[in-house]
Amino acid sequence: MSPLPPTSLPPSDPAPIDHLDRLPDPLLLHILNYISDIKSLGRCSAVSRRFRLLVPLVSSVLIRVDCIISDDNPDPSSSSSSSSAAAVSLPNAANKPSIFFVRFPLFSSLFRSFVSHLLLKPLQSLGFLSSLPRRIPGSPSLSADSDPSAGSSSVTHHSPVQVLKNFSDLRSLCIDLPSGELSLNDSSASDPSSSSSTLLRWRAHFGSSLDRCLILAAASHAKTLSTGLAGSGGESPTVDNGTIPDSFYTNGGLKLRVVWTISSLIAASARHYLLQPIIAEHPTLESLVLTDADGQGVLRMDREQLEELRKKPLLASSASKRTMVPALCMRLWYAPILELSSGVVLKGATLVAIRPSGGEKKDMGLGWIEEAFDGEGEEGDGMYAEAVRMLVKRRTYCLEMNSF
Amino acid sequence: MSSKKKVITLRSSDGEIFEVEEAVALEWLTIKPLVESGCTDAIPLPQVTGNILAKVIEYCKKHIGASESEDRKILYELESWDADFIKVDQGTLFDLIRAADYLTIKTLFEFTCQTVADTIKHKTIEEVRHIFRESNDFTPEEEKEIRGKSWWLQGL
Repeated sequence: MSPLPPTSLPPSDPAPIDHLDRLPDPLLLHILNYISDIKSLGRCSAVSRRFRLLVPLVSSVLIRVDCIISDDNPDPSSSSSSSSAAAVSLPNAANKPSIFFVRFPLFSSLFRSFVSHLLLKPLQSLGFLSSLPRRIPGSPSLSADSDPSAGSSSVTHHSPVQVLKNFSDLRSLCIDLPSGELSLNDSSASDPSSSSSTLLRWRAHFGSSLDRCLILAAASHAKTLSTGLAGSGGESPTVDNGTIPDSFYTNGGLKLRVVWTISSLIAASARHYLLQPIIAEHPTLESLVLTDADGQGVLRMDREQLEELRKKPLLASSASKRTMVPALCMRLWYAPILELSSGVVLKGATLVAIRPSGGEKKDMGLGWIEEAFDGEGEEGDGMYAEAVRMLVKRRTYCLEMNSF
Repeated sequence: MSSKKKVITLRSSDGEIFEVEEAVALEWLTIKPLVESGCTDAIPLPQVTGNILAKVIEYCKKHIGASESEDRKILYELESWDADFIKVDQGTLFDLIRAADYLTIKTLFEFTCQTVADTIKHKTIEEVRHIFRESNDFTPEEEKEIRGKSWWLQGL
């Protein structure tokens, strides 16, 4: 509620308005801060001169990205491929503005061959407005001209960088992608007889590079109808003799977990790379969250981490447009079967806690692992948090991974 | 505690007298120093009318202690009570925001601001103008520019 300069009103008001009834500017700005949604704010800025002056002072903004435009096959005739700040015009029946996000190819050929035949369809979901024919994104200007239905109602797409341009006091920003990057192909899952779905959730924190990442995954998760084991804490009867259980190796289990881990890290570092221009343009930013509507991945940067990136630019990976992942030290927990109090059973439940190796970063203990999924789950049941708490009680396996 | 709770007297802008428990008044940061100093006179609140002050007191009495409760049932009940409480006309809602700001009552201020923000989230420009009693004071040229191809961008 900082004092604001009074907004000047033109002397000739078209309608008689009781100005005493109006909220003063600081209170109106406070309300605008609760709106967050960028499109609603855009409408508000067209209400009056007073609103138009106040909206750019809003400090908390949420951007729901409508479509992802793939940078996989840049069209040389289009200047838009050179930066994520470019706008392209696409025909669309609805004359509505939309926000796009450019996503670069996630997987270099090195990983693609390794990854594609397993669970992930990394590129399949990229790049397209779902309502649009696929040919459009590759050559936007061409298809806009050739499509007779385009007419005069073309929709303009804006990148987050553009829509945030005039916000001068941005402190908290949340960007919500329409979907997670990693498509999990259940038909090729390790248990083909199961109709339940693969679970994969990653939560990463970045500064100039990866600070920490927690991945919770399971080959399948399904609600059982009747179990006599409810409340037993999900401990499976297998004797823990200090070695990785056999089920970890069978059905490509270990390989699958490596793929989950690498895929999540690649997705996270690609997201991080795209945030650079936003962070550079908004020195006031204190909190940045990049999430997706599926809840698959959440990337966070707090005030200190944003400061770190401003001081020390990120190192890009040579393979693709993403931030280099440093050499990592990973702790892995595994349970062949994990039964949660809600009756949900996770098969091949895996938790991977990842931190950069080397003593540079202080040891954070287990606290951050237990907090990462705090209260998260389906329908707010805290299922993921419970799974994490149960998994960390089990034997830990340590792995190292080189920078990539 | 069986001892009689200390009561604070408040006077609204239109001269109405209200009595609230000290614990409630201590949540109002603007008058907190006065309450703590042991003031026994009626505290004048020249910016809040009686009907609004009654609503503010009603809200704070309901919320004292309950907001911090861990009991899901109590919180759920409080939520539905809030939803009924806030079913007021736009003028009253703005008066509540002004009163909560003036008295520095954080919970009520956040709740009322959030309520207004939620109402205007999906409203058209015209509807927002009506809610806030704002007049369209753009020149025709500005209007044209704002309503143009990328109006919502240029508006920012």
